[in-house]
This record gives sequence, structure tokens and C-alpha cells, in this order.
Amino acid sequence: MNLTRDRVRSIGWAFVLTICGGLLLALTFRVNAVKSQVRLAERHLVALRQEKLFLETEFEARSNQQQLKALNDVEFGYEAPRAEQYVEGERQLVALGKARAPGAPAPIRVASAATAGEEQGAFPAMVSPLTGKAIAAEVPEGGPRKQVDSATLGQRLARINLSEAAPE
Amino acid sequence: MNAISVSTTITTRRRQLVNVRQHSLLVAKSRVLLVLMLFALVAACALLRIGYVGVAEPAPRSQSMADALMPARGDIVDRNGVPLARAFNAYSLWYNPDALGGGTALVHKPEEVAAALVRIFPDMDADELTARLKSGKPGYLRRRILPEHANRIHELGEPALEFPRENERFYPQGSMAAHVLGFVSADGHGKVGMEEVFDERLTDPASRSKPAMLSIDARVQGALEDELGRGMLESNAKGAAGVILDVDTGEVLALASLPAFDPNLIDEGSTPNIFNRVTNQVYELGSAFKPLTVAAAIDAGTVTDIGRRYPSGHPLAIGGFQIRDSHAMGASLNVAEALIHSSNVVTAQIADELGGPRLKATMSALGMDKRPYIELPARGFPIWPSGNWARITTMTVSYGHGIAVTPLHLASAYAAMVNGGIWRPATLEKVEPGKAPAGHRVFKASTSARMRQLLRMIVVYGTGKKANAPGFRVGGKTGSAEKPGAGGYRRSSLVSTFASAFPMDHPRYVVIAMFDEPQGTAATSGQRTAAWNAAPAIGRVVPRVGPLLGVMPDETRDVDISDLAPLIPGANGGHE
Repeated sequence: MNLTRDRVRSIGWAFVLTICGGLLLALTFRVNAVKSQVRLAERHLVALRQEKLFLETEFEARSNQQQLKALNDVEFGYEAPRAEQYVEGERQLVALGKARAPGAPAPIRVASAATAGEEQGAFPAMVSPLTGKAIAAEVPEGGPRKQVDSATLGQRLARINLSEAAPE
Repeated sequence: MNAISVSTTITTRRRQLVNVRQHSLLVAKSRVLLVLMLFALVAACALLRIGYVGVAEPAPRSQSMADALMPARGDIVDRNGVPLARAFNAYSLWYNPDALGGGTALVHKPEEVAAALVRIFPDMDADELTARLKSGKPGYLRRRILPEHANRIHELGEPALEFPRENERFYPQGSMAAHVLGFVSADGHGKVGMEEVFDERLTDPASRSKPAMLSIDARVQGALEDELGRGMLESNAKGAAGVILDVDTGEVLALASLPAFDPNLIDEGSTPNIFNRVTNQVYELGSAFKPLTVAAAIDAGTVTDIGRRYPSGHPLAIGGFQIRDSHAMGASLNVAEALIHSSNVVTAQIADELGGPRLKATMSALGMDKRPYIELPARGFPIWPSGNWARITTMTVSYGHGIAVTPLHLASAYAAMVNGGIWRPATLEKVEPGKAPAGHRVFKASTSARMRQLLRMIVVYGTGKKANAPGFRVGGKTGSAEKPGAGGYRRSSLVSTFASAFPMDHPRYVVIAMFDEPQGTAATSGQRTAAWNAAPAIGRVVPRVGPLLGVMPDETRDVDISDLAPLIPGANGGHE
């Protein structure tokens, strides 16, 4: 075969053109594939949003004012806070944490004896509505214990009972 | 010669043979070509199609996300965006007797299925259900059921019980704010409340994706309904109404009419309750009008001295009619005492001095001669004495008789009385800050300031003591009017109202509570008047809604009533 330079060149061009055409086609296919993925994702999003709306509405229907009121009446009995329970402003808030000024009257101290139920802290433990037991009581005997640091050490030491102390 | 002839014959035959072969070759080739072309065409078609699908891909024309998520009917939300009405694909319970393909419609006995359904929906009637299941007619057994109920029905294993998801209007808060919202009827159009007002906007594709925002605050509405409901039970009343209004913008924060209805379930039983007592029913609101009369008199200059004493020892005879007080209040009362003890005799005298035309002009400026200004379609027309008011008319109107208005009229009038004197129309649409309507002036600012003091004094020293929520500086006036019946007023059926505003040092909200025909019960100490049912309801509502509306209780603040306190015996001449 007689391959002249011109012939080689035209074959080359045709080859390049074919490659480019092929690449273009491949790219177009790819773009359309991605587009269709986007559409699928959008459809999925719409479905999820509708599901969310559905759940949200159901939640709102179950937690509507009347339900909450009924729950409060039976379970909690919360009332609107009274005037003295409000703090007027930042100054009053800060004043709560201030050290007693010299010459100020001593705070009234109320004598109290720690009762058995209160040794965990100042607040009563939260009671599970299912078991009727305090939530804290549900921690098993050998379960993980709270970290003891310098602040809670005194509390922890005060809790050592006889059974723990006996082997000494 | 012979040889030659033979050879020519052979040649001729061979030539013919060649021709035949050539011909058949040509035929074969052309057929192959045809088949090839056919294949090529098919291949080209396939390639073109692949190329078309790959490049152009018209594909199922999907809607944009916004279109897909656009509700069939726009949502209605409260001022904080809490949904009050929403388009919702709710499940409904449909009975399809042909689901099993002929034969019996149900797997179990109809009685068993009915009993199982009643276990899920205790309000359904077992006998009626059995009859419907037996009848074999398709139809809704129930609309709007919860997914949980759908699951339980599914567990019954009855293919005839279907639960299609349908686009329905759903009110997550149930009967709360039902009179404000209204409902959507079977034809898809809103009825009664804001559903009807916003109907076009909620169904228009251009605007329905944005929820319509009301001025209502769901929490405040809940608290108001709750306390009115409690008051209604305690006083055994026939109905109750209440409204909370922003005095500076006219926005309605809560509007309740009890007994309410559930817009999710409109049936025959709930139809009478659709009537709105706040905007549609007119009542003679009684003594709650007295402050308006006094304000008109102060404004006109006929009362310049709150300490001036009016005789109150005897009933006032006028035109063969006697104006009397509910109980003896002493020989004379000053203006402050008249309001505190709610004296009809003294108020009538004040109105008489003021004169009919001026009282009428004030009442008219307060909108008492027109339907209430609000968007709701159900608005009652007041019973308004027309023409020139006679002396007796002026006197009876001064203490809230002979004129019947809706509780909303009273709320708007009180707002004008305490906010510095500007009357503004009430609205159920949220008003953006600074966009409040200009309104018109009815009272002078000085009159308004004086009325704040007087209203506060009524609550501190007078009939409104039970409304005095600590720290909220409530001021207001009780009103217990006898309902008109055949042959005059019926002494046994009252409409008791408490119209109030808080905090009185800078009024922000008007709160009205009204009970229709309250009875004396143990809970109200056997009393039927507003001081024993409406006032305590206000006293419970205000602490609940005040903090939600940005009014914090503060016992160190109050409107200064020290200049008027010496007028009240027993007030120690000072500020409480």
C-alpha cells in the first residue's frame, strides 16, 4: 500500500475526529446519567419531606395543647410562675452569686437532716413512669460509677457503708 | 463445417450458461445486499435511538421539587409559625365489599369485625357498623384515621377494609381555635372562619406554597380556652367567650367561643357550636360599659373632679322607670366609688349630664353601631338605639343595657380606652412591626391615663379583686347583665363579663372573658355575678399568658393611683 503523507494525515484527522466524537458521546451519556441520578435523588427528597411532614403533623396532633394540658394535669401539675420567681434583669441575676457584703445580714439557715432518699443530691431523683423506680436505681449493682473528683469526693466518702468497710 | 457448427452450438450454450450464472449471482448479491441494508437500517435505528435516549433523554418529565411539595391547599399557621391547619395525606377507612372478588365481603363475621373496629374507635356504634358491613355497600367507615389505627385495622386481616391516603385538611390542634379557623367543606372550599376568608389565597397555586399567618398565638389561645372551659364547668354556664387583643395594633392574640367544635370532624352534633359567640352573638354587656361612659364624660369635660359626689341612696325614677342598684351603697358616691361598687344610679346621672348626643357619638366612634371590624365572615349586627337618644335610653346605655354588642366590640373599645385613646380595627392577620393601622382618636390621652387608674382601682378595691393576678397590674370592670326574655329581663339568667387590660402602667393587652348563663355553684360560692366567675377566670388567664406575651410580673411596679386612693375609704390614702 502506498501511504503518502497526505493520506496518513487525513487518516490521522479522521482518527482524532472519531476519538473526539466518541468522547463527546461518552460525556453526554455521563451527563445524562448524572442528571437522572439527580432526578432520582430529588424524588427521594420529596418523598422524605412528605414523610417528614406526615410525622411532624402526627407529632403535633399527639402533642397538641389539649393533650399537653391533660398530661400536665395528671402527671406534673405545673403552674404559671409567680412574680417572685422572675429575675428582673442581669443585675439581679448577678447579685444571686455575689459574696455577702460586709455588714449584710446573715442568710437564714434552716436546720435539716439528710434523709435516706436525699443522699444523692439536693434534687429528688427522676422517677421512671414505667417502673415507678428512680432512674438512678436502675443502674445495676456492679454498673459504671460516677467519676469522683475533688468536688464530689466528700459526698462519695460520706456514702461508704458498713459492708464496704467491713473487710478492712 | 460440421465441426464448426458443433463448436458454435457449444459456444452459444456456454455463453447462455454464463449469462444464467451471472444473473443468478447478481440476484444473490442483490438479495444479500438487501438483507444487509435491512440489518444496517435496524442497527442505525437502534444506534439513533440509543443516541437520542442518551443525549436528549426526554425521560418522564419530572416536576420540580417545589411543585411536588406544594400543598393542595395552603397551610394556616399562628404568629410563631405553629401549624393550625395543614394539607395532609391522611388515612381514611374505606369499606370495599368487592375486595375478595365476589362472594362474602368479609373473612370474619360482620359482628366480629364491627366489635373489633369499636375496640379501635370506641366512639363508633357497633350495631350501626354491623348493619353497614352487612349491607354490602362501599363507603367511608371513617375519615382521617391515625397511622397507628391503620396498622391495627390491617392486623384484623380484612381485605375489604381499605385505608387509602387522601388529601385532607387536618387541624393538628383539634378543636383549639376552631372558630377562628373554620373548616373545609366537602366541596373543597373553606367555611366559617379564616379558611373562608383566605379561600382564594390558599387555593391559588401562585400563593398557596406560603402559609397564611394569623395573629393568633397558639399557646395563648390554648390557655384562654383552657381557663374559660374551667370557668364554664365551675359555674355550670351554657357557653363562654373570650378574646385577647393587642391594644396597640388591634391584633387578636386569642379568640375563643365555647363550647367549641372539632373542625376535623364536622357532624350534626357539632353544628350548633359553630356559632361564634365572640363576633356573632350580641349581648347586653351590662356594667362593663360603665368605664366607657365615665371616659366619655371625662373626655367631654362634664366630669372634671373624680371626687365629686353623686346621690346614690334612692333608685332613680325616670319616665316611669326606676334605675336601681343591686345593693345599697350609701347616700352618695364619688366617681371612683361608683365604678368600684358598680353603681347604676350614679353612672346614669353621669350620662344624663353628658347628654345623649355626646354619649352616642362616643359609642359610635367606638364602632358600637356597626358590625365588629374583623375578617371573620360571621359578624353580628349590634342592637343599637337609633335616632336621638331619649334621656332614659342614654341612661340605660350608660350601664350597658338597651344596647347589645359582641364581646369583640367591647374589646376594641377597651383597647381604645387604655392605649391612649386610639381606636383601631381588630384583625386576625399578623401585623408587621410598624404597620399597625392608624385608627382614629376617640379619647384624649389624659382621659385614657385617668381610666387606667380607675380600672386598676376597680380590681384593687372593687368588684374585680379576683382578677388581680399578683404582679400583672390588671385593671378592668365586671359586668353582670340580665338576659332579656319574654316580658322583660330574666333575673335568673345572666351574662357575666369581665373586661380587663394589663399591665395598667403600660397597657399591652385587653382580655375579655364572658360567661353565658352561669349558675351559682359551690365552686363560685353560690354566686352568679361576674366577680365570681369571669373575674377569677381572668385572674388565672393573665399569669399564664402574660409571660408568653412578654409581660413579666413585677410587684414593684404599678400604675400610680396615689392621687385617687384617698377617695376610697379604707384604701389608707396610699398606694397599695
